[in-house]
Amino acid sequence: MPPRLNLWPTCRALAFRTRPASQWSQTPCIAARAVRGFADTAANKNNNNTTSSQRPNHLNGDASTLPPFMVPPTRQPSTTPEEIEAAGFTSTENEKALSQLQLVTYGLNPFDPAVDGHKYGLPDLPLPSEMHMKHRYDPAIVQFTKLLMQDGKLSKAQRDMAIILNYLRSSPPPKINPARPLMPGSPPASHLPLDPVSYLTLAIDSVAPLIRIRAYKGLAGGGASLDVPMPLAARQRRRTAFQWVLDAVNKKKSKGSGRTMFPHRVAEEIVAVVEGRSSVWDKRHIVHKLGTSARANLNHSALRRRK
Amino acid sequence: MSAPNCLRCLLQLRPSVAVPRYVASRSTAAASAIPIASAWTAPFSTTTARDAKKKDKSGGGTHIRAGKKIKLGKFKKNTTADRGKAPAPGERKAYRKKILLSNNNALPVPGLADLSAEDMLNPKNAATVLSIPDAVVDQLRASEAFKPTQCWGVFRKPSVLLRSETIDLMTRMKGAAKQKQTLRLVVTGDRITGKSMLLLQAMTHAFLNDWIVVNIPEGQELTTACTEYAAIPGSDPVRYMQQNYVLKLIQAIRKANEKVFSKLSTVHSHPELPQHIPVGSPLMQLANSAKEADNAWMIFQALWQELTARGRPPLLFALDGLAHVMKVSDYRSPAFELIHSHDLALVRLFVESLSGAGAFPNGGAILAATSRGNSPRTPTMELALAQREAEQAKDAAADVPQPDPFFRGYDERVQAALRTVQVLKLSGITKLEARVLMEYWAASGILRTTVDETAVSEKWTLGGNGVVGEMERAALLTMRL
Repeated sequence: MPPRLNLWPTCRALAFRTRPASQWSQTPCIAARAVRGFADTAANKNNNNTTSSQRPNHLNGDASTLPPFMVPPTRQPSTTPEEIEAAGFTSTENEKALSQLQLVTYGLNPFDPAVDGHKYGLPDLPLPSEMHMKHRYDPAIVQFTKLLMQDGKLSKAQRDMAIILNYLRSSPPPKINPARPLMPGSPPASHLPLDPVSYLTLAIDSVAPLIRIRAYKGLAGGGASLDVPMPLAARQRRRTAFQWVLDAVNKKKSKGSGRTMFPHRVAEEIVAVVEGRSSVWDKRHIVHKLGTSARANLNHSALRRRK
Repeated sequence: MSAPNCLRCLLQLRPSVAVPRYVASRSTAAASAIPIASAWTAPFSTTTARDAKKKDKSGGGTHIRAGKKIKLGKFKKNTTADRGKAPAPGERKAYRKKILLSNNNALPVPGLADLSAEDMLNPKNAATVLSIPDAVVDQLRASEAFKPTQCWGVFRKPSVLLRSETIDLMTRMKGAAKQKQTLRLVVTGDRITGKSMLLLQAMTHAFLNDWIVVNIPEGQELTTACTEYAAIPGSDPVRYMQQNYVLKLIQAIRKANEKVFSKLSTVHSHPELPQHIPVGSPLMQLANSAKEADNAWMIFQALWQELTARGRPPLLFALDGLAHVMKVSDYRSPAFELIHSHDLALVRLFVESLSGAGAFPNGGAILAATSRGNSPRTPTMELALAQREAEQAKDAAADVPQPDPFFRGYDERVQAALRTVQVLKLSGITKLEARVLMEYWAASGILRTTVDETAVSEKWTLGGNGVVGEMERAALLTMRL
């Protein structure tokens, strides 16, 4: 088969060189330099010439020095007050306009909001999610807080959650039980107390069940229900696990009184989960075992008929 | 078909007649089966057993039947599971009031220096965080200067921010002590602006400079009728002592001031005390003699006499929750009339010192802090403090608030007590102080953000222009860590 005629290899031999970017130093902004403003006088024109000749360092290659736009224009009056008097303009608006023109000569947009008029600058866009009022907390923490809530008292639940997190970060590092492994890739135990949010999330994610058992009423024949394992989504898994934790907490006896009583009990249970002492692990084990035995029912004839 | 049953009966009947009685009565099944055997139970009675009909307990005729009984909650399961031993009395409160002063997870802050005796006087130390030395922590704990609502348990070591007001107050205290005068001052301000913390700093300063410190941690414990009281015999008008509280107070004073007391000895003879304490015996002996509540008030008076004798170190007398001792207490006299707080002997001692009637001859300070979270309404105190504040303002022409002419609830005794006190009003901290505080939080690993001007400004603003407690709530007690 003859080689296909191809022009592309020849193109490679051609030297493509981009034209050097037109820098303002080579083509200074003539509009800004030559055009005289309405309020300009001869003195001002002079001034414009001097500034363009004394170009800022960062445009000459030295970027370490402060660029002129960082300096507020009012601090560097282009001329002394006497000169301004002599020149015949005194208004600040004029001066501002001139400084904006000066920015144009630097090749900058004078109306860029990041340049001027902001005390703390502008935030980087896009905004991180925690900057949004409705997403300012960690999503897992929000979910647990709402599960803690009773009678719609979200504010109290939030205070409880804050107390739980404070308890976790002031309790000693947990002793992790190798028989109850936590999520793979979890940080070492000594790192957990100083990051209570991940401490709590790790504890809940580790005991969260993977499945739930769904009972189809009367499908197994003779009125017996057919147990079928169903997968859970991440959020459902967390919900189940946290409710198990709350069940265990409600069975515990309260040691103290006052507003820290309940959150401290929850926090103790969380520590117990991480250390493998909690009864919640048994619940998870039972569900998984039941699921393993019930997975034979996934292909049950009655179920297939139902579909 | 009934023959076998009858036969069985007959067969069983014979041995039961023959066997001794105790055997027959032991087997209850046999007894119920055989009426003859069960009728055999009263061997020593000569009369035959009458089968008397049991009477109805209601006494009426048998035709009255009991109504249908309704069992309530028969479908309810008994859900109260046994949860083990109940906490002992006082255990739950102890858990609630527990004060944790260190957190080993928090990082040690590099370059954090301990407070020394002169540190709180140096204006250059304004807006710095310094830690409290361990010995002083023990003393402060003994005098109950730490409160359970403060955030000590989050940090490695108890440390305090020296604000400009701190330097100001300590300088005033030092000046008063130098001239053997008594600084009488009330710390007031909005909620969680650090009033109790300023008292704690004053106590720290006093302990560091070997003052004697007497602290009443909560004014309400004295006036809400939760501790025992008794009329002081022979007092006219009648004053009341609170023996149990005073015993606890003496023990706290002794424990907190052990270092100073060990160098001092008594200069008065106290013939009224049950225990003989001759002149020149160590002061610790006098303090240790308070073992029972019965003579605690007498010993406290003797101790007070010793502490205010000439040549002693300066004295700091502090009280938190002033409003509670500036009102009519919840105690009742034998005539069942409410007792004014100023008739309680311990409160009276404090109030007289505050009003200037009982000055300390060795100089010192008497400090009181108001509380905004827990305080009864005391219009007289509020007015008096507002008046003193206006009078002490820099521009003397400021309007001094006047009493409401249509209100008759003012208390003259409270007015008299607060006529000449100084007032120090606390408000938010400056941004510089906020920055220093937040840098300390961040260095402890508790605040996990960059402390720059934006973050400082954000927390300062969220905290109501630098109210310290609100800043703590926004930065430390939050779900956003």
